[in-house]
Amino acid sequence: MTAAIARPGTRTLAPRVFARRAFANEAGKGLWLVWRRRAITITGLVVNGFFFLMIQFLIGGGHLVLPVLALTLPGLFAYVVASTAALQGAGGIAEEVTAGTLEQAHLSPAPPFLLALGRLAAIAVEGLIPALVLVLAFGLGYGPHWVIRPDALVPLALVIVDGLAYGLVMTALVLRVPPIGAIVHVFNMAIGFFGGMFVPITIFPHGVEIVARFLPTAVGTEVLNTALAGRGLGAAWADGTLPWLLVHVVMLAALGWGTFLYTVHWARREGGLSPK
Amino acid sequence: MTRFLTALGNEVRKGLLFAWAERLQIAIETPFFAAFILLLGPVIGSGHQIAAGHLSWTLNSHRISVLMVAFLPAMFFFFQGVKLFWRLLGEIQAGTIEQVYLSPLPSWLVAAAGRLLAAITETIFLTGVIYGLVSAFVTLHFHWTAAALVPVAFLVITGIGYSLIMAGMTLLWKRIALLQDGFLFLVMIFAVSALPLFTIPGWFAGIGRVFPVTADVASLYGVMLGHRGVTGLWGTGGLVWVAVTAAAYLAAGILAFRVLEHVTKVRGALAAY
Repeated sequence: MTAAIARPGTRTLAPRVFARRAFANEAGKGLWLVWRRRAITITGLVVNGFFFLMIQFLIGGGHLVLPVLALTLPGLFAYVVASTAALQGAGGIAEEVTAGTLEQAHLSPAPPFLLALGRLAAIAVEGLIPALVLVLAFGLGYGPHWVIRPDALVPLALVIVDGLAYGLVMTALVLRVPPIGAIVHVFNMAIGFFGGMFVPITIFPHGVEIVARFLPTAVGTEVLNTALAGRGLGAAWADGTLPWLLVHVVMLAALGWGTFLYTVHWARREGGLSPK
Repeated sequence: MTRFLTALGNEVRKGLLFAWAERLQIAIETPFFAAFILLLGPVIGSGHQIAAGHLSWTLNSHRISVLMVAFLPAMFFFFQGVKLFWRLLGEIQAGTIEQVYLSPLPSWLVAAAGRLLAAITETIFLTGVIYGLVSAFVTLHFHWTAAALVPVAFLVITGIGYSLIMAGMTLLWKRIALLQDGFLFLVMIFAVSALPLFTIPGWFAGIGRVFPVTADVASLYGVMLGHRGVTGLWGTGGLVWVAVTAAAYLAAGILAFRVLEHVTKVRGALAAY
């Protein structure tokens, strides 16, 4: 049997308070870094907005085709959330490994999943702010014909979870495959192109559409489009996209979570939490 | 001179060893880019069909050939920029870039030139592979001529300037991946805008002219598909604008690298923070 021994003059925290504090510390650290990088984030936001506009011109042959913008704007939202989660997650953990601060964080009695949750919360904020700003800017600026009802929040939430889960997979892989950083760019481009930011995935040839449905956020964007077209979640359920989205989110979240816990466990055992 | 060449050779060798270590990544990215070019062909200018919910996915040999003229230079640029950035960042985080600066040789040589040469070597190979993959699906028609080497040479010079700007920014601000991604996407889009595939608004063309690859793509198109020479002076693909773009990016790159490197050294931030 083990017992916690408090040093004289210190007080032991209740487990719930301790967990909350560990989570808040990790999330706070991430948010502080987001604030420190605000110039890069704001520039990235502007560049992403401009990029989306250019895609619209490219696809419209020099014109902006409003129905295409309405169909692909949810794809931009998903792309920004997912790509930010992957780039900043992978970049952040690589930075902490080389600086040795990841090892310090894991000296704490806080379980790794709590640290991962704190990290994810900060990444979610970093991705969601520019994604929402872009959707609002294009939505208010061009007024796409959307039917905005509360049921759209379901696919919206699932898209966010899917994007964050993808980011967690990439973050976790950095501990085993350090050069993953450069691969993240390619995966992000794949999500941008095959995930619905250029064209809706239903437009792709059948074989490509099937492959695209396995990519993060692609099906979420499709269901979001169904909801925003006013057809309701019932239609998405009936055509099989909503059930597939649920399965996708659960599987990817489980993969991200499992990979993160496995790679952290491996790194703690093999000394991979700091540079070799 | 011998010390110069040895240092350069060491950096190139290190860069190529990095490339070999990233062979899995290369195996993933090359088919993706080939698929991207093939699928983008039918999408360009098809907004109204897409809005109507149907699109014909036939691969048009001429259109894909035209797109290749834009995408190969743009991808050359993309790969070079991304690889240089991540490797430099890795060295900053590992602390080895600080060691590199202990060398008595000039910093532009050890911190930039060798890495650039390695990235260029690797990127030429990658674009060759992408060309091979695309041509396996579509017959590509080009007018191969030595004159095409002129815009290619200017493209390499422009790429060096851009990479130096990014290298300087990486030294100072480290995590600029989001910025790098976004800017390289824009480079690709504007490269395509230089082609006569669709009409673009005047302001769009105006902005495109200041982006690094646009002028070279216009010139390459003229030589390889438009049956024009490279000696025409004016216009987006004219020799004057191509040369001015290359010179401006190179000058800006050297200046930005020197200034940002100096600020980084003054702040003592060459290593991970």
